[in-house]
Amino acid sequence: MTDHQIVSHGDWVAARERFLAKEKEFTRLREELSRERCELPWECVKKEYVFEGENGGETLAHLFGGRSQLIVYHLMYEADWNIGCESGSFWADNVKGIIPHLNERDMSLVAISRAPLEELRAQAKHFGWTFKWVSCVGNDFNLDFNVWLAPETLARGEAAYNYGSKKFTGPSRPGISAFFKDAGQVFHTHSTYARGRLDLLPGGVGEWPPTAKTPFCCASR
Amino acid sequence: MTDHKTGTREEWLAARLELLDAEKELTRRSDELARRRQELPWVRIDKAYRFETDKGTAFLADLFGGRSQLLIYHFMFGPEYTAGCPSCSTIADGFDGFTVHLANHDVALSAVSPAPLATLQAYKRRMGWRFPWASSLDGDFNFDFNVSLTEEQQREGGEYNYRREAPWKVRGIGDSLTKRGEGPVAEIAAMTGTDTATYTRQRPGMSSFVLENGVIYHAYSTYARGLDGLWGMYQWLDRAPKGRNEKGIWWRRHDEYANPGTGAR
Repeated sequence: MTDHQIVSHGDWVAARERFLAKEKEFTRLREELSRERCELPWECVKKEYVFEGENGGETLAHLFGGRSQLIVYHLMYEADWNIGCESGSFWADNVKGIIPHLNERDMSLVAISRAPLEELRAQAKHFGWTFKWVSCVGNDFNLDFNVWLAPETLARGEAAYNYGSKKFTGPSRPGISAFFKDAGQVFHTHSTYARGRLDLLPGGVGEWPPTAKTPFCCASR
Repeated sequence: MTDHKTGTREEWLAARLELLDAEKELTRRSDELARRRQELPWVRIDKAYRFETDKGTAFLADLFGGRSQLLIYHFMFGPEYTAGCPSCSTIADGFDGFTVHLANHDVALSAVSPAPLATLQAYKRRMGWRFPWASSLDGDFNFDFNVSLTEEQQREGGEYNYRREAPWKVRGIGDSLTKRGEGPVAEIAAMTGTDTATYTRQRPGMSSFVLENGVIYHAYSTYARGLDGLWGMYQWLDRAPKGRNEKGIWWRRHDEYANPGTGAR
């Protein structure tokens, strides 16, 4: 017999209703945060980043693909890694089905990694991924958006992540950045890191840090 | 030029850090809710619910597929529907990708609907999904878990999301799905080949079950906006510069958009 508390349906409904009040409070709190997120000021992106993609060199403005909103997933995949970060691959399985709906809402979603294009291409083919995935090899994009740390910063022990709240232990960290394009100008609207991005996986993530057999992500490589 | 407030990186960062504190608080609240969700008492299931599946007739225990936990998405696809609910379809576009990951973490995920199995199978092929999908047909399962209403229940006011609903009126308005007016619901109903009354006799929800020593327990069910966090599309839109930005039903099935964006290169 199980150790968990077992009750009648009537008692279960009573307990469930008490919990429902808590869940509704949470849903309203989340809506409030979404409103605040949209109200954040934006900053102009003045640097010209060029990415390597299937269409050759593409600027950040090109990655919008004719839409006015762009979300970039900083997919951890370094040039010397054999396979993309496990949590990044898990991310891909989570979003591949919903991209057409986001596109319909005037939003493009693009993954960006530091590995060269031919490695990304091979990985995408292996897993059957069709979303847009470009390489930022040779530009400062991941450095500027705080998901990659220069070796000298790491060596000095000054590396921080998620707005300074966590120490960097490896060169690469996951994150999400959102951009808006208006009259040809690109604005950076929002970036989120660490657990902030896991709320984008429906239903939350369960354990944190994950207790998977493979260590969390590839930072330890 | 944009009307939105713009600033320097320092100004942006200051505002972002303020929001970060609030976001972290929400994350911790979410952890606390997940803990409390696990602490809910369970109810033993004694009824022998039967389903039609790809592998033939099955009982609830079979839907666990050898795992100890089962998540059921109550997909709105009534026997009269000519196609699955488009909103449920966008939710399914999300979980189709990660069902394989859950299955390797002792959690089976299956959709259940009352439409005949052959109808579900044809729609699943059309959508290109792989998750298991069982038909509950005319069994009690959907009624017991408050995601299907009989015509009589609908007329007199059914039970949904732990509330007794107002009796159905011919011009809509009253129950959970039509409280903001019949218009959007009629629009979605038409996309399933039904009218508002027929469409809303099915309801969205998800339920979780545990199998221990051969006994099945019902652990959790959630309905209505309780599914918000499982609707992956909206979690992403909430991070887009313009947010949800919607004034009505904009979504369609993924093969019905005029300019289907596949995110392809």
